[in-house]
Amino acid sequence: MPWLLTTIWLTAVGAGLHVLWVYEHTPGSAASVPGRWPGDSRIPRAPGRPTLIMFAHPRCPCTRASIGELAVLMTHCQNQVKASVVFFQPNGSSQDWPHTDLWRSAAAIPGVTVRSDQDGVEAKCFQATTSGYVVLYDALGKLVFSGGITSSRGHAGDNVGRSELTQWLHHETAPASETPVFGCSLLDPTRGCNKKETAWTR
Amino acid sequence: MDTLTPVLNEDETVRRRADVFFQEQLDVYARRTDRMFAWLMGIQWLAGVVAALWISPRAWEGQYSHTHIHVWAALFLGGTISGFPILLALTRPGSVLTRHVIAVGQMLSCGLLIHLTGGRIETHFQYFGALAFLAFYRDWRVLLTASAVAGADHLLRGLYWPQSIFGVLVADWWRWLEHVGWVVFEDIFLVLAIRQNLSEIRGVAERQAKLETFNESIERTVNERTSELRSVHQQLLEASRRSGMAEIATNVLHNVGNVLNSVNISSSLIADGVRKSRASDLAGAVLLMKEHKNDLGTFITLDSRGQHLTAHLAQLSEHLMAEQMAAANELASLRQNIDHIKEIVAMQQNYATFGGVKEIVNVLDLVKDGMRMHEAGLQRHSVDVVRDFAEVPPVNIEKHKVLQILVNLLSNAKHACQESARADKRVTIRVVKTDDKVRILVIDNGVGIAPENLTRIFNYGFTTRKGGHGFGLHSGALAAKEIGGSLTVQSDGPGQGASFTLELPQPTKEKSHA
Repeated sequence: MPWLLTTIWLTAVGAGLHVLWVYEHTPGSAASVPGRWPGDSRIPRAPGRPTLIMFAHPRCPCTRASIGELAVLMTHCQNQVKASVVFFQPNGSSQDWPHTDLWRSAAAIPGVTVRSDQDGVEAKCFQATTSGYVVLYDALGKLVFSGGITSSRGHAGDNVGRSELTQWLHHETAPASETPVFGCSLLDPTRGCNKKETAWTR
Repeated sequence: MDTLTPVLNEDETVRRRADVFFQEQLDVYARRTDRMFAWLMGIQWLAGVVAALWISPRAWEGQYSHTHIHVWAALFLGGTISGFPILLALTRPGSVLTRHVIAVGQMLSCGLLIHLTGGRIETHFQYFGALAFLAFYRDWRVLLTASAVAGADHLLRGLYWPQSIFGVLVADWWRWLEHVGWVVFEDIFLVLAIRQNLSEIRGVAERQAKLETFNESIERTVNERTSELRSVHQQLLEASRRSGMAEIATNVLHNVGNVLNSVNISSSLIADGVRKSRASDLAGAVLLMKEHKNDLGTFITLDSRGQHLTAHLAQLSEHLMAEQMAAANELASLRQNIDHIKEIVAMQQNYATFGGVKEIVNVLDLVKDGMRMHEAGLQRHSVDVVRDFAEVPPVNIEKHKVLQILVNLLSNAKHACQESARADKRVTIRVVKTDDKVRILVIDNGVGIAPENLTRIFNYGFTTRKGGHGFGLHSGALAAKEIGGSLTVQSDGPGQGASFTLELPQPTKEKSHA
């Protein structure tokens, strides 16, 4: 009997871990990223230097890992790139809505500027749909990298995205690539996904 | 060969007992560690829920949010991971399966907590802490199970999702070994520590087994010695009983001797009376009357001898009556003395069989009986006897013991007066009543007792009298104690006489009625 219960227990735990695993390793939806710096973006591009932008949801707990990875990246490449973190802000929300601990964490990274993105206008310019999405354009405004810099949802640690960015910023030789993005959706849910959901009201 | 066999058997016994103690101690550790993990895993579960609520309470989609899956995972998956090991720890503590399930559950808890904290490198240290805690089982197999879970996790993820664990899409096949290597690194130290600890526990178990065997040996020896002591004690009891019997017999003989003196005196007096009786004078008168049977009237009235014969017969008659009275008195005293001898013998038989029988006794009667036994002796030695009797209630005692004491005290008083040079020899017998006692005092003005002898006078064998046995007062004091009273002495010193006080317990009303 104890062995049977143990088997059932192991099966239940395995199933639970599998569900968790699938959730954490399911990337956000990907879209066609503009190959060149979009002209209607109001984000200033650094002249003569690569520009890195991270789109983030200020309240997405998974993005904490992405901010952490950006901090690691900037530690190694602080003077080689102009970096910004653009925080989504819904229409009609208060000015303080995006000023969360993530905002403060990002603002504390040397060489990183933070700004809010009213109703996700800038995110739409860059086709960003998932929090933690990173794009890197070279000094000429050509897309070099797009994707996430975490290995799974909300999971800190070494990952392919940060590794490629670091390599390109140091050598500018690596080919452009795209990595999956893990995080909350920057956009409102599509039909059928917002049952029992709560508005952001504050 | 025969001499070696017991030694080998004892060693084998010690080894087996050591095995038992060793296993018992391991079981204690296992149960204790099970309980510890039951608490730990419960706390970890709660910590996971708190961490999820703190770190990732909600997942967002634009301006909308819903409960983050981490919260549900912490609550339900964490509950499942911890629940079953806790259940086993509570229901099957000490079982091998329990500790292995706990090992698996603990490593899975670590993994879940790492997920819930966003893969923080610091949280990974919990694996190493958990291994150290699992080492509390002192069972290297548990560490093997736990390490196997960690190793399998790294192997599978390294093979199928290398970026999730190594941060790269393509990792060398041996990278999982590097990660597991650190676990093994800790395991080596833990296993060494476990081995050392087991060795120490084994040592303690062996010492305990040896001690137990030694204690059993001591206990066996003690039992043997106790048995021997019991046997010796029994023999001593028997010897004591015999000695007691001899003591009683001595006492009986002593008392019988005292009474026999009176018997002897009474019989001597009777014999003297008979020897000196004037009954022969009556025979002469009868002969004279036979000679004058034919003229008896003339002989009595006219003959001068006949005239004296009548007066002589009257005088002789009075004398013979006096003799008869004296003989009757002595015979009565003799009978009383013989009765007392019978009582003494009966008392001795009573001693020899079961405890004495108490009865309600008139103290004054008892004292008078005692005095009567020494009446002749006291008179012979010209000792005045003073009676000072107060009204006292009857007492519930063994009267022969009291009589024995009184006879002995009166005998001693008589001897003390006899040995004294003074002319006014006197023995006073006083009976008084106190609050709850009746006291009989035998006071003499004889030779007295030196102060240094006052404390020894009741010791067995102690006597100051030539021909004394040193037994009377000793047995008297014991008898007084047995009946619930006491016998004490007071003397102002040599030549000042002595006063012996026999204190008797006064019966309660209930006892009196009984």
